[in-house]
Amino acid sequence: MNQIVATYDLSKRYGKAYRVKDVNLTVKEGEIYGFLGPNGAGKSTTLKMILGLTRLTEGKVTVFGKELESNRRSILNQTGSLIESPSYYGHLTGIENMRVIQKLRDVPDKNVEEVLKIVRLEKQKDKKVGQYSLGMKQRLGIAMALLSFPKLLVLDEPTNGLDPAGISEIRELIKSLPQRYEITVLISSHLLSEIEQMATSVGIIDHGRMMFQGSMEDLKSKNRPTIMIKTQNNKQAQKMLLQKGFSSMQEGEFLVFENMTDEQVAGVNKILVSANIDVLRIEEHKKNLESIFMDITGRERSL
Amino acid sequence: MMKAVSLELYKLRHKRLFLMVILFLTVEIIWTFMAVSVSISRNSDYARWEFVIAILSSMNGLFFPILAAICVSRICDMEHKGNTWKLLLTVSVRHSMLYVAKYISASIIMLGVCIMQGIAIIAFGMVNEFGQPVPFMLLIRFLAGTVLTNMTIIGLQQWVAMAVKNQAFAVSLGMAGGFIGLAADLLPGAVRRFFVWSYYTGLSPVTQNYANEKVQLIVEDVNALLPAMVGLIVAGIAIFLAGNIHVSRQEI
Repeated sequence: MNQIVATYDLSKRYGKAYRVKDVNLTVKEGEIYGFLGPNGAGKSTTLKMILGLTRLTEGKVTVFGKELESNRRSILNQTGSLIESPSYYGHLTGIENMRVIQKLRDVPDKNVEEVLKIVRLEKQKDKKVGQYSLGMKQRLGIAMALLSFPKLLVLDEPTNGLDPAGISEIRELIKSLPQRYEITVLISSHLLSEIEQMATSVGIIDHGRMMFQGSMEDLKSKNRPTIMIKTQNNKQAQKMLLQKGFSSMQEGEFLVFENMTDEQVAGVNKILVSANIDVLRIEEHKKNLESIFMDITGRERSL
Repeated sequence: MMKAVSLELYKLRHKRLFLMVILFLTVEIIWTFMAVSVSISRNSDYARWEFVIAILSSMNGLFFPILAAICVSRICDMEHKGNTWKLLLTVSVRHSMLYVAKYISASIIMLGVCIMQGIAIIAFGMVNEFGQPVPFMLLIRFLAGTVLTNMTIIGLQQWVAMAVKNQAFAVSLGMAGGFIGLAADLLPGAVRRFFVWSYYTGLSPVTQNYANEKVQLIVEDVNALLPAMVGLIVAGIAIFLAGNIHVSRQEI
């Protein structure tokens, strides 16, 4: 698959502090790339640099295989975007807002009709955008981004402020874009559940640094179950099991074992019972994606 | 460029900017013509084109800086309000191009105002049956001075309106400019030339001179105004370029 977006040691410094540091992000053709991170992690800054809205301090960005700095116009002609809050002219109607972008993009009228239908705004197109709800403004922003049916769509937290029905609607729309229109999507969010449900690849950023990048399957494969055993004498049990080749960690009242087969669990149980150590509980714990995210970012906020 | 300018004018829909401009101009013209009519009724010697032009130049010093500030603010503010800078820049519009398009749009509106003012002067002279024929050359010179001053002030206003989101700054600058424009003639010439708002009267082809409690109207020679014109053009270009470069370098 071709690389649509690639960043090389991308960094952005404000004053002495780096907002983004050495980010290497790769988005391949036809993917929905979920760019995940807590608030203030550097997602928007990275996306702004990819779109040329913010100057890079260090590093390089290529889009469609071309360097951004020298090919910005041709790249942006094939890119649609919605960055942070939706942009609109509140005193103009929905259709007039679309016409502004239509004139700039030089696309036919049928595109306007089609995208308004896709985001289900065709009935509200004659209403002033200032009177739209946040969800409608967000949908209008997506319609503007989609207007030229670009090869790449960059969406920065597009479901911010939407109600659950709106979120699900936008999610289904985004999921359909690669197949229906061959659009590669780069979408950022601080909501893991949102990315989990639509992304095929994922990048996790925290404190301006890329902590993980890979397919959603790779991320989920970190979801290995652990076996937790509670005994009457954990210290003695741990010592004894270590001698038999089973290493564990003490977590609260439990001994935690990783990568154990069913047979090994049965074997551990047998060893403990034979040594007259009462086994009070054996539990299997599966990490959900949320715990994996917290493990990666090392913090428990914004989720 | 034409596309960018027409788009700027398209974006002004529903803003009622043109209505506001016409109302503002109407107030200025009515005020001026009433003042001129009162003078004519007291002394019929004032029934001259030169007098109308001289009074209107002074009134422009008060009204036009404010009008230019409002026009420019309305044109720039819609981008701040709707957060549309990033939208436009991501559809590959260049910052500097947008700046130029907005400048031209504001200049076109203010040019329309100047032309309407010229037509109003001719109509007023005809209704009051001024003895002399319509002095087209004088009117063109009046128009040129006003347009030139407007364009410099628009450049200054646009810089502030684009760089500072809060449009109260830009409008306050316009109001301060209106005050300076009105009172500039009271300042010494060496000081006056540093205030762009003073050029409505500074470049007027007719100046007023008070002697023996009488107003003398002096038609200035074109050559006498040329250095001031050139100076204003240079200042205007410098202000425009500085504003464009500064605003284009601002990060979104």
